[in-house]
Amino acid sequence: MQHAILAQGLYKQFTRYHANKPTTLQEAILRGLRRMKPIDQFWALRDVSFSIEPGRMVGLIGRNGSGKSTLLRLLGGIGRPDKGKIRTYGKVRALLDLGVGLHPDLTGRENVFVSGVISGLTRREVQQRFDSIVGFAELESSIDNPLRTYSTGMRLRLGFAIAVHTSPEILLLDEVLAVGDLSFQRKCLDRINQFKAEGCAIILVSHDESQIQQLCDEVIYLREGQLVAHGEPEIVIGQYVAEISNRTHQRTPQEHLTSTTESGIELRLHENRFGSLEMQITNVQLLSAAGFTVKELHSGDALQIEIEYSAPQPIASPIFGVTITREDQLACYDTNTAATGQATPTIQGQGKITLHLKRLDLNSGQYYVNVSIYESEWNYAYDHHWHVYPLLIRQSGYEKGILSVPHQWEFDNAQTLAHRGH
Amino acid sequence: MASSRYIKKSLRRDQVHQIQYIYDLIRELVGRDIKLQYKRSMLGIAWSFVTPLMQLVVYYFIFRLVLSLDIPNYAAFAFSGMLVWTWFQASLFRGASSITDGRELIRQPGFPVAILPIVAVTTNLVNFLLSLPILLLFLGNEGGWLKPAFALLPILILIQFLLTLSLTYLVAAINVTFRDTQHILGVLLNLVFYLTPIFYDTDTIPAQYLQAFHLNPMTYLIEAYRTVLLEGALPGLLPLLFLTLMSLGLLFGTYRIFRRASYRFAEEL
Repeated sequence: MQHAILAQGLYKQFTRYHANKPTTLQEAILRGLRRMKPIDQFWALRDVSFSIEPGRMVGLIGRNGSGKSTLLRLLGGIGRPDKGKIRTYGKVRALLDLGVGLHPDLTGRENVFVSGVISGLTRREVQQRFDSIVGFAELESSIDNPLRTYSTGMRLRLGFAIAVHTSPEILLLDEVLAVGDLSFQRKCLDRINQFKAEGCAIILVSHDESQIQQLCDEVIYLREGQLVAHGEPEIVIGQYVAEISNRTHQRTPQEHLTSTTESGIELRLHENRFGSLEMQITNVQLLSAAGFTVKELHSGDALQIEIEYSAPQPIASPIFGVTITREDQLACYDTNTAATGQATPTIQGQGKITLHLKRLDLNSGQYYVNVSIYESEWNYAYDHHWHVYPLLIRQSGYEKGILSVPHQWEFDNAQTLAHRGH
Repeated sequence: MASSRYIKKSLRRDQVHQIQYIYDLIRELVGRDIKLQYKRSMLGIAWSFVTPLMQLVVYYFIFRLVLSLDIPNYAAFAFSGMLVWTWFQASLFRGASSITDGRELIRQPGFPVAILPIVAVTTNLVNFLLSLPILLLFLGNEGGWLKPAFALLPILILIQFLLTLSLTYLVAAINVTFRDTQHILGVLLNLVFYLTPIFYDTDTIPAQYLQAFHLNPMTYLIEAYRTVLLEGALPGLLPLLFLTLMSLGLLFGTYRIFRRASYRFAEEL
């Protein structure tokens, strides 16, 4: 069978320059040309070989800096490999940056033409697909208004609509499936499936392993520029996840240390505590809205989670996370400082961080508040307290399910019943 | 055999498609630049000749009335030089930042990076053409609306296009490594502006410096434009031929430099 993509022994070298490499001629002359020279070189990709058949959707996973983006670029024909061959058969299109070339001062119509041509269509092709693009973006009524009057969502829809009308034979996707509302996402996924059915090979880079598992037919796993595995999604993703948790386990000190938190709970390493302990969670307090320590709450009450930590050495932007799990380990709620885009500074010494949950609409039952601190790239945990802090939720009525949603029932035909009573 | 002929045919169709595509791409990008230039300004399209007109008023005052240069039809003389120079200068200036500003375009698979300098030169060519009618007004002032020699204008425009493009490729590539190229270019262009016979005539240059002035290709070009526009005569063909060959050679060289540098663009931006 004819391949869509064929990569053989790919090597790509990157050059690291001096941190203050001159970017202007003025600086270069003032500081001397020495700094122009690279200080070291490293391989972003090493001996990567694979082939992808048309009509397959392939997930690309790996930590940050593992070479995913480099590989994606080479596939897009941007830059050249230092060694090895890369062959792509057919038109390569990418959804890496949505809406390239969109300009706020031009109308939607003008933008469709500019952006369509930039994404590889001729003017005639844009003309033929124009109605379909506008229809897909659901912008029929505002297509002749300037783009600056559009909302962010409308712009993204327009960008995506143009992109999916380029009839690619190879499509590169970089975590862009989170565009717009659910129905629009559905439409995008349908479109992607349609591409697949037409024989388009699709490469998807995502941090969301579950999304990759759902969508992809095969998965490529890169580690430090090398291809570790290429195969069935379940197996490769399994290996990837196992390696991440393994790294945490490897870094967890070997002695079975036991310590007690300030509130008197025993922490046993390897049992309810994991992590390298470079940074430690020294105490966790669950507080009610009034600020009292609580072990139980009514459904719908507010909860504050106070995390005290200590870092003997400076730690660069650690990620704090809280997960609320049910007794059977089902995660009911999960959040972290990275997910909300909160930048944590470099931390040293002791401190406290508090998570405010405005209301906790969980059904009655026994829960645990799990608290963790992760390395800034999620590589491993510094400290993770698992099923250490119990929380009992009480609820007056009886309901099934995970959530207990504030609600009321309302009859619409109550009046007719009243009439009959007379 | 049949299949190989089929492949050849489809290859040719691909090439035709590719040429059509490049043409459309340049057209859309130039169109976008021109539209943006005029969209939000009150005076709109008038801007393209209001600026040189104002400059002209100043030069006319200084060189005709204060310094009293004796050049017939001075307005048309100075304005023709300024238009030609403005196209040259604005293209280089715009072109220098065309790669650094086009970061997101460059990261698009299959985007032909080499067209960005072409777009910069073409956009300013359009501005040049839009102000030509004003120049014709000045020419008409002194008798001669349209002369047969005007048929040579497209050739001069083509030569200037090639010359400007070849230099634009060079500055665009350098600006990726040294981001202050544009500023340095501004200073240099300002100097060369005075060393080019734009508001004065080559006749007034002392003989011992004349040869040095003719090292500047823009001197030839502006003189040729003036011969055609003001005198309605044919410019010397030998210098023009030489200029064409030089521009082509230069373009060949700078384009290669640009191509070689272009593999790093995505990494350096």
